[in-house]
Amino acid sequence: MDLISRRKFLALTSGVAIGAVAPILSLQDVAQAAIDRPLPANTPILVALTLYGGNDGLNTLIPYSDSLYFSSRPGISYPVETLLTLDSSLALNPSMGGIKTLWDEKKVAIIRGVGYPKPDRSHFSSMAKWQTGNPLSHISTGWLGRWIDTQPTDPMLAISLGSVLPPLLAGAKKSGSALPLGGLVIPSGQLALDCARLSTPSSSDSKLMALAASTMKNLFNISDSITPVLKKNVPGSAVELPTVNGGNAGGDSNLSQQLDVVAKLIDAGAPTRVWSVSLGGFDTHANEANAQAALLGSVSNSISRFMTQLKSTTRSKDVVVMVYSEFGRRVVGNASQGTDHGTSGPVFVIGDRIAGGFYGDQPSLSKLVDGDLAVTTDFRSIYATILEKVLKAPPEKILNGWKTKIPFYKAV
Amino acid sequence: MDSARLVTARLYHRFGFGPRPGEYAAALRAGTSATRSNLLTVPSIDSGAQRVTEPVLTDLGRFPNANDPQLPLFSANRRDQIRVLTSWWLDRMVLSDHALTERMTWFWHGHWATAIDKLNYALPMYVQNQTLRKNALGNFRDMSLAMIKDGALQFWLDGQENTATAPNENLARELMELFILGVNRYTESDVKELARSLTGYQVVRSSGVLTFNSRRFDPNPKTILGRTIAYDALSATNHLVDQSDCQLFISERLWYRFISSQNPLPRGSRIESAFNQRSISAAVAALADFEYLSDAQHSLVKSPVEWFVSSCRALSITPSQLTNPNNLIGYLNKLSQVPFNPPNVGGWPTDEAWLSSASAQFRFDFAQWFIKQGDISPIANLAASQRVEAVTDWLGIAELSDRTKFALQGAATDPKRFVLLALCSPEYIVSA
Repeated sequence: MDLISRRKFLALTSGVAIGAVAPILSLQDVAQAAIDRPLPANTPILVALTLYGGNDGLNTLIPYSDSLYFSSRPGISYPVETLLTLDSSLALNPSMGGIKTLWDEKKVAIIRGVGYPKPDRSHFSSMAKWQTGNPLSHISTGWLGRWIDTQPTDPMLAISLGSVLPPLLAGAKKSGSALPLGGLVIPSGQLALDCARLSTPSSSDSKLMALAASTMKNLFNISDSITPVLKKNVPGSAVELPTVNGGNAGGDSNLSQQLDVVAKLIDAGAPTRVWSVSLGGFDTHANEANAQAALLGSVSNSISRFMTQLKSTTRSKDVVVMVYSEFGRRVVGNASQGTDHGTSGPVFVIGDRIAGGFYGDQPSLSKLVDGDLAVTTDFRSIYATILEKVLKAPPEKILNGWKTKIPFYKAV
Repeated sequence: MDSARLVTARLYHRFGFGPRPGEYAAALRAGTSATRSNLLTVPSIDSGAQRVTEPVLTDLGRFPNANDPQLPLFSANRRDQIRVLTSWWLDRMVLSDHALTERMTWFWHGHWATAIDKLNYALPMYVQNQTLRKNALGNFRDMSLAMIKDGALQFWLDGQENTATAPNENLARELMELFILGVNRYTESDVKELARSLTGYQVVRSSGVLTFNSRRFDPNPKTILGRTIAYDALSATNHLVDQSDCQLFISERLWYRFISSQNPLPRGSRIESAFNQRSISAAVAALADFEYLSDAQHSLVKSPVEWFVSSCRALSITPSQLTNPNNLIGYLNKLSQVPFNPPNVGGWPTDEAWLSSASAQFRFDFAQWFIKQGDISPIANLAASQRVEAVTDWLGIAELSDRTKFALQGAATDPKRFVLLALCSPEYIVSA
């Protein structure tokens, strides 16, 4: 399941065509670039973590003092005494100890009730709206892809872990790159010579044949004697984390492994300003409580481990992690101890430069819209803030005139 | 490019699983019209498929408890049955004399995408596969009515949890979005009302047997797509199939998988009108139209299973006879496509998704393994100087680039290496 899971989303967003064919990078490419032209010190770095499947926001950020929460969700809610309380009304899922510690250090902004107008409950359409940053019309570029369009061409600028590029990083003229995980052994000897011949570009190739040839050629960019950068251990102490399997609606399964690679390459000085990682399995229509706790535990532990690893590097304060999902879930549980597709949910933004605390209003359980949580914050306000503060670009052009921002970023 | 060669290659690789040795050259001699009608006509007897023994699958019953001493044996049986089921279907794809039936069954499996990962039993998936094969070229209405009562599909999308008191919308939503109408061709209220209409079913997970429990069913009127009656699963499914959006959507999906994932279905196409009575064979006949088949821009990447099965047909390999069947599943898994286990309810991706450096490497490894066990005499029996010339007709490739000819010439004295390069060439991975 290591490479396929995000493809399920990509398979279904075929309408969201990727403008340019994404370059596939090898670890060596990035490591070499880190040595040749390291990212200037103090450049902010964004790590976007996509939770595929629709994370249940109400069981992530739990309104534990509201009796409606417990009465709406018998069998799905968690016992009060296990919750990690943040204030007098909200608590984190019991599995999110790592995030709670970061919250206590004032490094976590939780933006509440995030969504967009006219919520769409299809995984595929809703994720397309979040990733394109345009909830109003169907477009083919991602909001970070349009930022890439404004920057000098550099295949290292924005990198997605995994073999398939999400629409998030697809621009109109340029796109981010994909970095597949896992070692590849390059062909050697006679086979290498054969492969080199077979992967030479040909003027008679169709677009897809040319791609088949170029991906074969890329095999040779990967050396079996990896550079010293990659031989180094993950910065900080590396404790093995269990992997949680990705499930029904997209996302990769090995989040901690993805973030280990990101930490290593950030430490090495990769000239990369945007990283995209993912975890799948959040489509919890049945037996949600345990499944979601396992997934959120993986998110929390992986992020906590990642932030700890960065502490031993010079770039710790530069990194901002944003965690989002395509929608929250219905307030009232279904008969299967699960929840169906809903609307808004919390977005987490984490980092040393983040002004920790709550932003946006918590949607009320007594004022539902068609049985669903209201949307109190538009995701474009978060994107605008990140574009301006982290990526140093004017947001209006990229977000079709959107101006509202949220003050969760503090200058250091 | 020679239009007859292109059309014939596309007919073989898209409406079947590639030619057997000699078939492509014979088809070129017969002409494209004859080839088209030959490939589209269901024979009364499929003696190739009859040579494949049906898998022996039993109802294994419930999972034993964690500390039950029966558990290891149970698990071994369960895994064996899944392996047998998987290689049985691959055998059928390779050995069937009417590849279109298997090809359409494969298409519908990706359409009503149900993954054995969640069920974890072979028997219900086998039953579903029989339903898909029986209706593969029949009427989409019959297929939909059969599928809504399919135990594997119901379990996969939590239908057994969908009750009058607490509807679960999973199946209802996918029925409209992915199976019958297409996304955004209905409202949220339609999803909720359809979920209520589908209530009442329970599934025996190990067998896929579906039962109806009227106490769990919601008998009240529901409003779906503007019409209000006391719908149940069958009447609601009929109502969805009646919609003109069903006609459009299935035409779009066929186009996407058989003609082009890059270019959209042309507006008001003949495919759509051919499907007006929901006849799948009529839509497929319209799809196999010379106008589309001869248009050079409609290339498609073969998915890993399609590439493997077409290689087996060329090399006279029976998948279940390959040494260590677990290896076969392992290779397919590395290429991210194992029959009966699509990655999600949306089915498998297309085109670019199958082309990465990783898959290039895995494809080489996989091909090296099965070529050793295949019959390469159609190449090996020729003089080295004749091999490059012969390989296109053997594999059903319309045309080779100078690049690939040069690579093949370099390997012409070593038949295994030669075949490896041919099977991994851009011209074979992609249906031009």
